[in-house]
Amino acid sequence: MKEDKKIKKKRKIGKLSFDTVITYIVLIAVCFIFFFPVLWLVLASFSKSGSIYDLEGFFPKNFGTDAYRQLFTDTTMYDYPRWIKNTLFVSVCSSVLGTVMVILTAYVMSRFQFKSRKGLMKLTLVLSMFPSFMSMTALYLLMVNFGMINKLISLVLIYAGGAPMGYLVQKGYFDTIPNSIYEAARIDGAGNPRIFRSITLPLSKPIIVYTMLTQFAWPWSDFILPSLLLKNKNLWTVAVGLMNLDETKFTRFAAGSIFVAVPIVTLYFALSRFLVQGVSAGAVKE
Amino acid sequence: MEEKKLDSIEKKLDNTEKGKRSGRLISGLKAVLVDSTWPVKLSLVVMGLGQIVRKQVIKGLLYMGALAAFVIYMINNGIEDIKGFYTLGTVEGDPWLGTVGDDSVMMMLRGILAFVIIGIFLMLYKSNINDIMEIEKRLSEGKKLPGFVKACRNFMDRKFYKAALTPPIIGVMVFNVLPIIFMIFIAFTNYGGDIKPPKLIDWNGLGNFRTILTIGKLKDTFFKIFRWNVVWAVLSTLINYFGGLFLALLLNKKCVKGKTFFRVFPIMAYALPGFITLLAFKFMFSYGGPINYYITLNGASPVGFLDIDAGIKARIIGLFVNAWISIPSSMLLATGILSNMNTDLYEAASIDGATKWKQFTKITLPFVIFSTTPVLITTFIGNFNNFGIFYFLRGHIICDGYFLASDTDLLINWLYNLSIDNEYYGIGAALSLIIFIIISIVSLSVYVRSAAFKKEDTFR
Repeated sequence: MKEDKKIKKKRKIGKLSFDTVITYIVLIAVCFIFFFPVLWLVLASFSKSGSIYDLEGFFPKNFGTDAYRQLFTDTTMYDYPRWIKNTLFVSVCSSVLGTVMVILTAYVMSRFQFKSRKGLMKLTLVLSMFPSFMSMTALYLLMVNFGMINKLISLVLIYAGGAPMGYLVQKGYFDTIPNSIYEAARIDGAGNPRIFRSITLPLSKPIIVYTMLTQFAWPWSDFILPSLLLKNKNLWTVAVGLMNLDETKFTRFAAGSIFVAVPIVTLYFALSRFLVQGVSAGAVKE
Repeated sequence: MEEKKLDSIEKKLDNTEKGKRSGRLISGLKAVLVDSTWPVKLSLVVMGLGQIVRKQVIKGLLYMGALAAFVIYMINNGIEDIKGFYTLGTVEGDPWLGTVGDDSVMMMLRGILAFVIIGIFLMLYKSNINDIMEIEKRLSEGKKLPGFVKACRNFMDRKFYKAALTPPIIGVMVFNVLPIIFMIFIAFTNYGGDIKPPKLIDWNGLGNFRTILTIGKLKDTFFKIFRWNVVWAVLSTLINYFGGLFLALLLNKKCVKGKTFFRVFPIMAYALPGFITLLAFKFMFSYGGPINYYITLNGASPVGFLDIDAGIKARIIGLFVNAWISIPSSMLLATGILSNMNTDLYEAASIDGATKWKQFTKITLPFVIFSTTPVLITTFIGNFNNFGIFYFLRGHIICDGYFLASDTDLLINWLYNLSIDNEYYGIGAALSLIIFIIISIVSLSVYVRSAAFKKEDTFR
């Protein structure tokens, strides 16, 4: 009887360790698949020669930092520093403006019960079912007709103006703030604007950070809108600029990509705690 | 059974509520039009006049100013604009004769704008009446009226939601709703192709829809792309969803050490801007790319993975690249969901002798699917409308048997080719509406079913 149990236990351990080995092998394989293209780009960005044809498969023949130097010095054809400046301008402005809009919307939708609330929520749901492209063609026509084409500011307006549509994640966060805090403030005589300023805002730092990051990352990596609205080469954003580099400029593309990817990837890692929260907050039903 | 009864009772209640509401409306109208005091009647005729009589000068002047601006606008532009909206222009411009024609697109825009302005004016008018009624009520109760500044402050406090929602609503109206409305109208015109300003555009009813769904090459293209689009959306959603879940479950295993380390790689893939990933993969599979390098190394001729005749190869690569991009985010999602999960269930299950697989299918899977249905819908829609993948991998390729599209293009890519690259605006807009209808049918049916699911209260 006792021995029987022992054998069972032993077998279980053996099975478990086999299971563990398989798990590790699969995990390492998956991570390799995710890591390899990135590694390839990083290696290519340090290649001495510029074209994709000069690489030996995935690996460069000679290493050097020429690609990075060219990015910032050889600007007649491809003005990389300017692209960066444009992108930064658009991303920072729309991040700030868009965050204000999203936070306001989410807070109101979460805290207040008013007549048109359900209607507004349904409206945003319906609006989100239209293909994003539909409004983009119209925006293009509108911008052409109102002379707003070839202006960075019109990009900012479009990004920030459409931002409140994605308020659900933030609303989910505000829903978790207990009601009693607000009631206490009310009893102390604080009005709604004051409550928002001195209670809600300090309590919602994580979600504000998350919103700012997502609002920043979207213009940072968007290519459709800029390529539609910015016909002037001097106004290109990084995404549009890099799209115009062909195979013979591959290392420059790699260097440019790595250069813009590093800050954003770092940001994501620094804030990955909020990311998991943010992503899953949107999933929980009302 | 009982629920049904309850439902019908609720419905009855709703109906009586509605009846009450309309009754209230009539009595409200009567209160405003007949039983009201004379300042209310003044405000009915001239916005703000009643307020001025009651010494609310700043407010009254603001209302009057709005009225004046509206009247001036209507006389100068508004009426013309609304007429123009119906005709879409009557005079065609001719560069040879030097006549300046009507710009149909602008006329339509102005017409929409005129309707918006009228709507805003009606809202202001209603608030004007509410305001004067409130004033009269306060006066009859012998209360003091607040000054302008105080009234503003009161508004900010009591109607905080209105004040706070105004900027977002304006933003969404201008940059989402207005363009969509504009495109809906465009879908019923013959705008595009050869017909664009200075030529006159005209309403043509359902002509564009008929063109897409019934006429020759366009019809063939539409149905071919549609079929592939559905296959694509289903396959990629399944791959991404279960891929993410699988990865999250692997990382959630007790035996795995260094979870943060393993998590670094997918998160890195997630954080990498999409266009970089897509362009990198395009380079990877291109003629001179590393994969073809290894193929040619052995003497074989290079393979056009993404070329015009790539066929199924390009589709598989698309699925793979999409999985690479999307699995990390669904992994993050699944991780979040799994960490919220109640572990007692597992203990109970293992006491009852359930196998691991059984635990997975009976506990984990229902729970995860239940809590992610909304996300599942959005990912499905996102995949259905996934523009980036084939725009980057196979942009500007037009295949035989397709009208301005390639065999990997999704409807959204076709939409882009039609409306942006080739300026078939009317047909493009009609296509967007068709996409919208498909999407809304799918999501509505899922929502309805998940609502029924919710009633069972399985997990709450």
